[in-house]
Amino acid sequence: MSRRPPRGEYIETDTGNKVARKANLVGTQNIMLGGKTVIQPEAMIRGDLARSIHPSSSSSGAAPGSNTAVAIGRYCFLSRGCCLRPPGRLYKGAFTYTALRVGDHVFIGPGSVIQAASIGSHVHIGANVVIGELAIIKEYVKILDGTVVPANMVIPSFSIVAGQPARVIGELPEGGHEAFELRELYKTVGNNPQPAPS
Amino acid sequence: MAPLTPYTYIQCPCSDASTLGRQADSNSPRSPDDDELDDRAFDPRAPRSNYSLYPLDYLNYCEDCQQIRCPRCVAEEIVTYFCPNCLFEVPSSNLKSEGNRCTRSCFQCPICIGPLSVTSIESPPDPSLLAAPDGAPAPHSGPYILTCSYCNWSSTEIGIKFDKSNSIHAQLVKLNNGGTTRLTAKEHRERRKEASQDRLAGPPSALAAAASNGGENNEELDLETQFANLKSFYQSQLADAAPGGSGLSSLNDLGFSSPTSLSRIMSLYTGGTVHNSRNKSRTGTMREALISDEGLQIASLDESAAIQHLHSIDYSETITTEQSTNQPPHLGEVHPHGTSRFASSLRPIPYLLRTKRSKRCPVCRHIISKPEAKVATTRFRIKLVASAYIPTITIRPLNIPSSSTPGTLPPLQPSQFILTFQNPRFETINVTLATPAKTPGRFSSKVTVLCPQFEIDANTDVWDEALKDTSDKTKLRRRGAAGDDGTHQAEAGKIWERGRNWVSIVVEVVPASLRLDLLEATAKEDEDVLEIPMFVRVEWEVDVGGDDVGTAPSRDKEQTEERELAYWCVLGLGRVGQA
Amino acid sequence: MSSSSSKRHSILPPISQSGPKPPVQFSSSITIADSALLTGSNPILISSESVIHPRARLDSLSGRITIGRRCIIHERSTLGAVGTSGRITDKAVALGDYVTVEVGASIEAGDTVIGDGTTIGVGAKVGAGAVVGRNCTITARSEIKAGEVVEDNVVVYSNGMRRVDRRGVAELRNKGQARQIGVLRMMIPSNPAKFQ
Repeated sequence: MSRRPPRGEYIETDTGNKVARKANLVGTQNIMLGGKTVIQPEAMIRGDLARSIHPSSSSSGAAPGSNTAVAIGRYCFLSRGCCLRPPGRLYKGAFTYTALRVGDHVFIGPGSVIQAASIGSHVHIGANVVIGELAIIKEYVKILDGTVVPANMVIPSFSIVAGQPARVIGELPEGGHEAFELRELYKTVGNNPQPAPS
Repeated sequence: MAPLTPYTYIQCPCSDASTLGRQADSNSPRSPDDDELDDRAFDPRAPRSNYSLYPLDYLNYCEDCQQIRCPRCVAEEIVTYFCPNCLFEVPSSNLKSEGNRCTRSCFQCPICIGPLSVTSIESPPDPSLLAAPDGAPAPHSGPYILTCSYCNWSSTEIGIKFDKSNSIHAQLVKLNNGGTTRLTAKEHRERRKEASQDRLAGPPSALAAAASNGGENNEELDLETQFANLKSFYQSQLADAAPGGSGLSSLNDLGFSSPTSLSRIMSLYTGGTVHNSRNKSRTGTMREALISDEGLQIASLDESAAIQHLHSIDYSETITTEQSTNQPPHLGEVHPHGTSRFASSLRPIPYLLRTKRSKRCPVCRHIISKPEAKVATTRFRIKLVASAYIPTITIRPLNIPSSSTPGTLPPLQPSQFILTFQNPRFETINVTLATPAKTPGRFSSKVTVLCPQFEIDANTDVWDEALKDTSDKTKLRRRGAAGDDGTHQAEAGKIWERGRNWVSIVVEVVPASLRLDLLEATAKEDEDVLEIPMFVRVEWEVDVGGDDVGTAPSRDKEQTEERELAYWCVLGLGRVGQA
Repeated sequence: MSSSSSKRHSILPPISQSGPKPPVQFSSSITIADSALLTGSNPILISSESVIHPRARLDSLSGRITIGRRCIIHERSTLGAVGTSGRITDKAVALGDYVTVEVGASIEAGDTVIGDGTTIGVGAKVGAGAVVGRNCTITARSEIKAGEVVEDNVVVYSNGMRRVDRRGVAELRNKGQARQIGVLRMMIPSNPAKFQ
């Protein structure tokens, strides 16, 4: 009986995104998914916290696409219970939220809270990580479980980061770059998951 | 205890004593004494094994030597220096003059090492709201401070404010904690020049001045200034002692670059007496520094003031050893004798620069890894990683009897593991495995590799893989069927499963009981981890037909050459539980 | 997703309002998201201009919950959690004015007091009966044990280290908080009627 529901656990979009029905997406009109991205149940994205002050035009007639709050690239994996929210800051004395941009092949572990300004491609964020507001994470970065990345921190490429507050504890070897590809992981979830290759 | 995830570490040949002498020609026929060495199984717990075992990801591969290279044996060359915070490249010429830290506005918090941001005092430097980042126009441009968004430290705690929001480093160099102007070494020198004009009489009077003035000349110097003072003091003495100088002494020979000095040192070591007569004529000695302007710092052994201060402050206002060691060596307020004990003496830490480095093979000097020079790119010009040449080994438990402690292997009962070998090469490879029947160490477990010899099909192109999607699926189905019927048993001499470019086999272990040695001593750290040394030999054939210039290609087009690579690896299977 | 999602404005799955609906006392100027979760049987008081984000959880089962003026309770945080140390008392949790409780933070029930202007960081935990002073900062993933007392202006960081915040920017911070609330009121559709 349990295998019979007509609706799968995931909504699969035309561009290949797999969004769990139990994911908490708020303000979807401000969330951009690049395609082939997996959003697991109970993951939360705060698209409603969009930029309230536009840098150039203060009028409300801005282009519709310009108000993206959270932009996510291709082959990203948002694990169960993680939360993505745009960072807020005071800009010229007024409070505003700014966009959170996530590259391709970004894994976000369960229970992690992300308030970065940008996350490059090929980034692995472990479980229960906190990324502070306006942090910048470049390509090929591994953040170990339980790390607290303070606000405004910049993490350069090929860093392994851990601790409270985060510090660079190691350098990624060249041989480890392949492991960031999430194409195989993408196939293992969804309504018709394939078994992981051995 | 957390269950151990199985791991595979590979030994780099650089640490193997038996191969040290013949790294370059691993293809040469094996000499008889190799067999003796081969009898000695590799012990992963031996002290010599420390730092010689690496996960596959960390290893490089030299195509010319056809050998594994590890981070310990490769020769690194720095391609680019950059600041990890602002990501600006620092030219190597600047490094000599400015040191190995960022000289822009990138600082770490002296309390918690979090990043510091430049904030206008007028705007709220709130951690949860975040004030304007570096350089952004603040509502009021006023004095600026450095604040830590993590622990809420701010440079006001050490009494430092800045006039401009950019080039903080240059401003900080000129400020003492508390906000007083800090003289640079050059300014010190100028001041000293003025002072020395007052006492032209020379060293004796300087001595007298030091004696009469007492403490006055012993102002406290930071390390940087002290070094600069010492350096200029001794340099000026060398200059004064030049021939035709004041006639105090002829110390010009002490300059290490001078030929006479060299010959003197040579005679010291050779015991020669060639220049003895000349040496005797040199009677003068170099005067020591006497005042702070000359670099003398009298250790302040009277710590009553510090103790007094300790009475009045909170514990949190003292600094930890870690905070003290994190301090940059040249920016310390009053440092030379480790007197800095209070948070008020801490300085913001300029970010240490990071590097991009290329790697060379230690034997043939060929480059085996070279990143693009630009900071922003993550591409590599050359990247020879071991995972593209030697099979990856993954471990998966197959059949483990239940244990008293969950996540551990029950002792004295056979456990089975699946080892999957994936072939990254575009040639079919033959793999031969060998393990000692019993693992080395105090607790020896029995090991049986059910299929120690097998062939793995070649890796195929990514595009072939995509095109042959259907065939891949049939393979998956076959695997599924194998898993479904429980009759699929591990058989000796047979492989467990086979795929496009992978083969899995079964290894059976009977872990030793940890109790055997309880009488002698308690188990050492991680001695309960079951580690199996395994010797892996990979053989494959390569086409050398057209490549070699010397041979006649027309005679035999299908000319192939046998290649082999052999190495030790360690399989960490899990922790052995208590019986 | 942006184009195809226009039909689905938001895909929040329905909230299971299990248990009794707690008696609430809201100021008319508060902002409370429709998907906030209020449970329990004791009163929940929210003072003027405070903001309750979606999926924030206020549980008054173990006692009364009081939220001061201009507080921000972020998503997934829990006030009045039973957790490991939660216990039943008259006043489960009392927040002062200008308190920020960040994403996923948890404040356990049992006479727990959070002073004015204090920030409880992302994923931080405050045990039952803990008293956190005014203008404190409990950094992300820090833990205040049950019954612990944190003095005014203290920063708890790096998993238990403490230091005194000497910036003296409480007023500026509060001003910033007010501005943030101003922005949030425009963004979060408020539905206090649902809980009354």
